[in-house]
Amino acid sequence: MSEKTQKRTQVADVDRSLYDFIYSEEGYERYDDGLTPDIVRAISAKKDEPEWMLNMRLAALETYHTKEMAPNWGPSIAGLDMDHISTYVSPKTKQAKSWDDVPDDIKNTFERLGIPEAERESLAGVGAQYDSEIVYHNMREEVSKEGVVYTTIEDALHDPQWEPVVRKYFGTLIPPADHKFAALHYAVWSGGSFVYVPEGVTVAYPLQSYFRLNAEGAGQFEHTLIIVEKGADLHFIEGCSAPKYYEANLHAGAVELFVKDGARLRYSTIENWSKNMYNLNTKRARVAADAKMEWVSGSFGSHVSYLYPTTILQGDRSSCEFTGITFAGATQDLDTGCKVILNGANTTASVDTKSISKDGGCNTFRSSVVIGRHAQNARASVSCQSLMLDDISRSDTIPAMDVRNATASVGHEATIGRISDDTVLYLMSRGCSEAEARTMVVGGFANPVSKELPLEYAVEMNNLIKLEMEGAIG
Amino acid sequence: MKDQTTATPELTLERVNTPPAQTWNYLRANDITLTVPQLSRKGDVYFALPRLFEGIECGVGPQATAWVVSQAADARYVEVRAGERKAEPIVVDVDANDGDVHDVGIMVRAGAEACVVVNVHGTDGEPATSGALVRIIAERGAKIRVLEFVAAGSAQQHVESVGIQAAQDARVSVRQYFLCAGTLVAGIATSLDGDGARIDHACRYLVREREVADINHVVRQRGRNTRADVRETGVLDGHAKKALRATIDLVHGSKGSEGTELESVLMLSDDVTNKTVPTILCDEDDVSGNHGASIGPVGPEQFQYLRDRGLTQQEAEALYVRALFDEALIAAPTPEVRANVLARARMVLGDDVANDLVEGLGLNEEGA
Repeated sequence: MSEKTQKRTQVADVDRSLYDFIYSEEGYERYDDGLTPDIVRAISAKKDEPEWMLNMRLAALETYHTKEMAPNWGPSIAGLDMDHISTYVSPKTKQAKSWDDVPDDIKNTFERLGIPEAERESLAGVGAQYDSEIVYHNMREEVSKEGVVYTTIEDALHDPQWEPVVRKYFGTLIPPADHKFAALHYAVWSGGSFVYVPEGVTVAYPLQSYFRLNAEGAGQFEHTLIIVEKGADLHFIEGCSAPKYYEANLHAGAVELFVKDGARLRYSTIENWSKNMYNLNTKRARVAADAKMEWVSGSFGSHVSYLYPTTILQGDRSSCEFTGITFAGATQDLDTGCKVILNGANTTASVDTKSISKDGGCNTFRSSVVIGRHAQNARASVSCQSLMLDDISRSDTIPAMDVRNATASVGHEATIGRISDDTVLYLMSRGCSEAEARTMVVGGFANPVSKELPLEYAVEMNNLIKLEMEGAIG
Repeated sequence: MKDQTTATPELTLERVNTPPAQTWNYLRANDITLTVPQLSRKGDVYFALPRLFEGIECGVGPQATAWVVSQAADARYVEVRAGERKAEPIVVDVDANDGDVHDVGIMVRAGAEACVVVNVHGTDGEPATSGALVRIIAERGAKIRVLEFVAAGSAQQHVESVGIQAAQDARVSVRQYFLCAGTLVAGIATSLDGDGARIDHACRYLVREREVADINHVVRQRGRNTRADVRETGVLDGHAKKALRATIDLVHGSKGSEGTELESVLMLSDDVTNKTVPTILCDEDDVSGNHGASIGPVGPEQFQYLRDRGLTQQEAEALYVRALFDEALIAAPTPEVRANVLARARMVLGDDVANDLVEGLGLNEEGA
């Protein structure tokens, strides 16, 4: 396959060649742009889905067309025109269990992203999605023997053992009517992961799904459904990237996480979409008694993001930790944060986020902490720190707290500021250049997030920060 | 005074107290909707404020501000001359029982000093809607103190709106004591336009029984080296509902500015609803913005300290309420305001505690 000629983009100051490479779509199956019932039926037929899924898709499409976006919400998505987005693009290949069976161009893509290497060294299983379809899926045999299921939603739907499970959980935590882009997701979803961890099983190494959107003017709508049974333990890693184009791309995935009694789930994301991407993703977890949900989130890419992972602490003594960092550079308007709903007694939530704005980038941190009437002795703390690296950027924090139980305690703190001149001067007096000094400070600022990631992902995150910091000093 | 015994046409005011940036609509924390009486003023001619007051942003938003302007009879314009230190406070007296509505514009010229007092008083009785709109222009180096006391009846709703423009080196001090009303909608917007302008804003509230308090605080820091210090402290009891939106807006060009906003909420009942949306908007790098919120019951350490001294939980919690009245009484600048605060203290705390407060401050039983 010949590489497409790279186009000049708005982010020419940063070398993103690690992520910015394009392979031809020649021979790929690409559905027409726009949204019609015929396209939805075609996607469903292609996947040979049960009728209930087709009906759900068609109902969701109807909801999408009738639901309005809130007029007072976040960064503009006026540049997103669904009539110019193809909702299904698929390479002509079947899902493989060996990288040797993956077409060369796709295999090269994931090798450049380091996925096969990471799989060999530190993962229990990998799913790799290229545009609309999973092209590679594999899991270590010893993990499989413990009864762990890691497959695609499509495969689970064709398995008589798992189809009822998918049917029971799919679309229940994030209903199609949740918001306009949730409805869109359910109409055209394709790819993603289905993970089932049986009761009491601890998966020693993380599972990882990597989503690569190669096609120009296309959308990716993967669905991730994870069920961690009682007392089980899982770390799931999600990575994503795309090459840059002038034309808008769309990511509207959905992640539904069910964490049962006494279980623990860590969900880590390093998001590095290209800066023509509208990232309108929805993630939600329901956490049962004594269970723990941990989110680690790094958002570096996309043109516009709406991303607010939600945790519902339904069971007594359940807990949630959210650690996140968002880096907004030139042309980026990233509206990120999280939501926590504490319904159970003695539940605890801790939110710690950082944001960095540079080169005219805009960051908006939003959070909501809702403490229900029955959440006796619930505890929640929210900390948000924002760093402004120049005076053409912007950073807003908009947290909200709704407390309806007098025994609950909620604490919130937020600060916005810049790197102090004293700190830069101190580091420069010890031999650093100004650029190095600022990069070091930003690296330190991000450290609480990177230390929560496995080493190789922390390295990737630090590399992304270095990439973004290149050219930070005029 | 308006006669509200006959059926008065009503008007629904939407998006009242809306902050500059909003959160999720489903949280229902972005604004409040109010139904208010609308008296027709057609054919009447009343004194209006100079047009430059129309440019002042007010906390409750344009729709509610327009309603107050339309319902007030003669607007009142007060000018404090350059360099003058006005000894007597400018008092805005609102009888909530009568549904008083006032529109006041105050020009504090360069280097002048003035104190503005808004005193809202009402008793439990007939429903009524009152309003007070105070717009202030503080010129270079002016010092302005704003004191607001709201104690309306449980069937009454009151709209309290303040807008302040502060020029270079102007100093603004705001102290609000919301002892509350059936429904209180209170908004204040301050624009620190000039370099070195400053606002120190303290808001204390007690919302109880089935009262509703909806509060919107906005500070726009536009000049260089401006300072905003906003502190809200409140107690919620019974079935009270309170929403606070507090925004520090560090506008592009406000280099060297610092804005801080802190809220502390004491919740005394499982039936209360507290909504807090503290926001920082930052469009400048060489600035510092901070906010914090603490919401919950009396801390275990504090409670243990008080219990060691023989207080029950109820007595310990009552101390916090009493402290609020104590502070309001100390801050009350006129006998009328003290009487208003004391009447509410008698209703909430009982005569014994109220008498104790009076004695402690060396006042007579009427608070004079």
